[in-house]
Amino acid sequence: MTGTDTQSSFLGRISIRRNQVNAMDGSHEQEIEDLDLFQKQVSDRFAEILSAPDDTPFDAFLSISWIRKLLDVFLGCEAECKAILLMGRDAAQISKPPLDRLIPELLDRVVKALDICNAIANGLELVRHCQKLAEIAVLALEQKPFGEGQSKRAKKALVSLISAMHLDDKEGSAHKTTDRNWSFGRRGGNKDRPLFGHYKSLSWQVARNWSASKQIHAMTMNVVPPRGPEASGLPSLIFIMNLIMVFVMWVLIAAIPCQERNGLTTHLPIPKNVNWTHTLTGLLEKIGDEWKKKEKKGMAGLLFEMQKMEKLGQSLIDFTDSFQYPGEKDKVEEAAKQVAELAEVCQRMEEGLGPLQMLIREVFHRLVRSRTEILDVLDQGAKSSAPLV
Amino acid sequence: MDGCQSTIPTSEGDLHVVAAAHHIVKALGATKNLSDDLRKILIDLDAHLSMITSNTDSKGGKGFVDVEERLKQSERKILSWESDPRMIWDSGPRDASGYLEAVDEIQTLVDGLQGLSVHENRKQKELIHRAMSVLQMAMSRLEEELIHILVQHRQQLDPKSITSRSTQRDVVYDESFVSVEDEPTEETSSRNCSGDEIGECIVDLIHADVIPDIKSIAKVMFTSNYCPEFCEAFIGVQKEALEQYFAILDTEKLSIVDVLKLEWTSMSSKMNKWTWSVKIIVLVYLVSEKRLCDQLLGDFGSVSSFCFLEISKATILCFLNFGEAVAMGPHQPEKLLRLLDMYETLADLLRDIDTLFSEEAAAFRVAISSNGSLYPFPGGGVHPLNKYVMNYIRMFPEYCNTLNLLLKNQHVDVADQVIEPDNGTNLSLSTSCPMACHLRSIISSLESNLLRKSQLYRNEALQHIFLMNNIHYMVQKVKGSELRLFFGDEWIRKHNGKFQQHAKNYERATWSSVICFLKDDNPGSSSFSKQTFKERCKGFSIAFEEVYKTQTSWSIPDPQLREDLRISTSLKVALAYRTFLGRNPAHIENKCVKLTVEHVEKLLLDLFEGSPRSLRNSHRW
Repeated sequence: MTGTDTQSSFLGRISIRRNQVNAMDGSHEQEIEDLDLFQKQVSDRFAEILSAPDDTPFDAFLSISWIRKLLDVFLGCEAECKAILLMGRDAAQISKPPLDRLIPELLDRVVKALDICNAIANGLELVRHCQKLAEIAVLALEQKPFGEGQSKRAKKALVSLISAMHLDDKEGSAHKTTDRNWSFGRRGGNKDRPLFGHYKSLSWQVARNWSASKQIHAMTMNVVPPRGPEASGLPSLIFIMNLIMVFVMWVLIAAIPCQERNGLTTHLPIPKNVNWTHTLTGLLEKIGDEWKKKEKKGMAGLLFEMQKMEKLGQSLIDFTDSFQYPGEKDKVEEAAKQVAELAEVCQRMEEGLGPLQMLIREVFHRLVRSRTEILDVLDQGAKSSAPLV
Repeated sequence: MDGCQSTIPTSEGDLHVVAAAHHIVKALGATKNLSDDLRKILIDLDAHLSMITSNTDSKGGKGFVDVEERLKQSERKILSWESDPRMIWDSGPRDASGYLEAVDEIQTLVDGLQGLSVHENRKQKELIHRAMSVLQMAMSRLEEELIHILVQHRQQLDPKSITSRSTQRDVVYDESFVSVEDEPTEETSSRNCSGDEIGECIVDLIHADVIPDIKSIAKVMFTSNYCPEFCEAFIGVQKEALEQYFAILDTEKLSIVDVLKLEWTSMSSKMNKWTWSVKIIVLVYLVSEKRLCDQLLGDFGSVSSFCFLEISKATILCFLNFGEAVAMGPHQPEKLLRLLDMYETLADLLRDIDTLFSEEAAAFRVAISSNGSLYPFPGGGVHPLNKYVMNYIRMFPEYCNTLNLLLKNQHVDVADQVIEPDNGTNLSLSTSCPMACHLRSIISSLESNLLRKSQLYRNEALQHIFLMNNIHYMVQKVKGSELRLFFGDEWIRKHNGKFQQHAKNYERATWSSVICFLKDDNPGSSSFSKQTFKERCKGFSIAFEEVYKTQTSWSIPDPQLREDLRISTSLKVALAYRTFLGRNPAHIENKCVKLTVEHVEKLLLDLFEGSPRSLRNSHRW
């Protein structure tokens, strides 16, 4: 993981310098130096993941592997930020204003980010479910000899797939479980009606009134660049950390289905006049545009694989709708190509979803730990009445 | 059946073989003591052979008459149900088995037809196509029937009938923190309700009568390669059932933000409910669900455990999430007992969970175990249990008088009774008062617990680091608060000695083998031969790198302790290295010397950082 490699050398530099500087005065200069270094690291790393070569489609923007890279970058930045904040400092230094307000606010945002991690982990289950449905369709469509039986089988799976992707967030969370109409097949009379029940279980894992868009909005409150004499030093560091965290969480919510994303803001408080943030702004614009385009239609997230799956799914539904044995040759060939593509998407999901889920877990645990460490230091400071050594 | 594809018997000799085989099959079929499976196999074989002979009787149309007739019959039966509003399995066993027979027949015909030659026979292809269409229709219907059966015959589980009360627990808690048990199992039971234990209990989640029906549907669907559809439907229904049960237990889902905002009474009752619910769900519901999956799908290999995993993982994660949220909150003393209860419950249940999930998802186990106590605490740092206990007992001195009154009549057996020298001040009273005795016994239990936990580490050096960290932490907490008055100087001195001993043990365990590369075997001679020097140097580098790689990920949270250990290590190791290089001035320019003394010193400062590194990166600067 390149993230941790550069991170470790960076931490190494700080560690050495900390050990060499004995006096605590003159540390402000060092602080500024650390900060500049940190900013540069952040800027470099984000720039790196922004530029994905076009010939590797599955490392494309907002693909599973791209998101994994983004999270790696986040973990690296988080570790460095924590190191700068805590290494060689005692409680008094991080409790004085304005840090006495900024740090608790940061920790507050961390907690909100944790909820988002949980919601995302839940959302990845929906993605998995879609993968399973797509695999059924592929299984059916690859059958030889291919006939109307397999065509109907594929269509059923694909219709379920598309419905799962277009689930209305509100409907999912408000539905009472008793409303599940399991036997509508008989009464409805339409034999190809898909089974809705399973994916609606998605919403129940998250608190009933929880809203992803509201959570992000809450996180963006009060994220303002520090001004005046505070502009350099720790307040600036905390601002950057807030920014990165909000940004990454926002990307996750835009990409992966989770509860109640209606009205997701496409504005994040990224300052425009600072040169290192232009990579973030660029990404924000790109994703924001996509989001606005698709939001009206209702969708399961901008994840590259899901988008691809939806497109292929729709097209194949059209194919199966009009299919009559033995089928027109060029249509069948076209469909075969699409089936192969769909199979590849499934393969990507199969390989990438597991590691992505683990990575989200790691982000979660890292944030918890850092929060605990910071709270411990603050605690010690508060109880500094008794001599410690 | 692919093997048969290219072997159409055309010669007369072949026909004789087929006829003979057919004859044998018929004879076997007449035997009385056949198992159902064997009988089915013979029937299939019979159908196959019939098809082969009938196909070769004439080319083209006439040969398939028989097949087509059978197809028509089954097709009729299946189609007739399509327009019927009733559910097949509600109509009685005869209808159900009739339907399944029809599906079976279609399946056999499909297999047979596909097993025949690949000559472009239009009739054959037409029949296959027709059969597959009917089959798909039947599978779709069976899916609906499956869901219908699972929902109709779901058994209601009354949580109250399984356990008793939860209100009595509060009384038990007051006694529990005073009791001293050495065995972990006894600790748990004394903390929970005695006699009100929730034990493992298997119940029927689906009425036992319909199990054979579901099994027969499963068999038919799996044979036709509709396993994914079966699983999706089954998992979907069962997940929903579990969710409903969860709702009955009245455990609502909360976001972490909400949990952290809870005030104490609310939080306390939710924690209680959690502990109770998690036991019911794991020991009763999930165990029963596992049995159900095994009953229904046990014949199909890993499908059973896969379905079980999918059904249950969301719920388990939900419980873990709540536990994590609670653990993140502020350390109030009142919370500790509840929290310890939750923690121990989870630890106990982990064994059960491990058994339930033993066949599947290593990744999932990792997710759970990162919350559990069956695996060693990563990095060797201060264990959360230690922190909770120490932070909790820090509050005790405030209640000293009350506690002493309450504890006056308790007899405590303490392993290391500390006799405080009488220096005439009130201090001696403090260290021997009942509360002090109990405090020491609590700490004593904590120490044994930590000792047990340290033995989970395979690396001996890490065991020592872990114990050093934790004992040091305990000493710091005692020294830094009023607890020092109750523990006394003697206790503090003794435990200082303990963690320092662990530090020494760590050094010996880690570095003796590394340094021995640098030792001089012949004290008389001044330097090594070039060859020996190279070997020694290389050995040292490799060993050093190994230690570096491993031990940068270990953690010593206390900065002072970390510094001290680094410095002490540095003195030993860097000194030995400097001496080694100094004695062999001729070889220093040798390219096998990858590290300078300064390098070694610097690198040692990276140890115990808590994040792993490799030497290669450190070389950059």
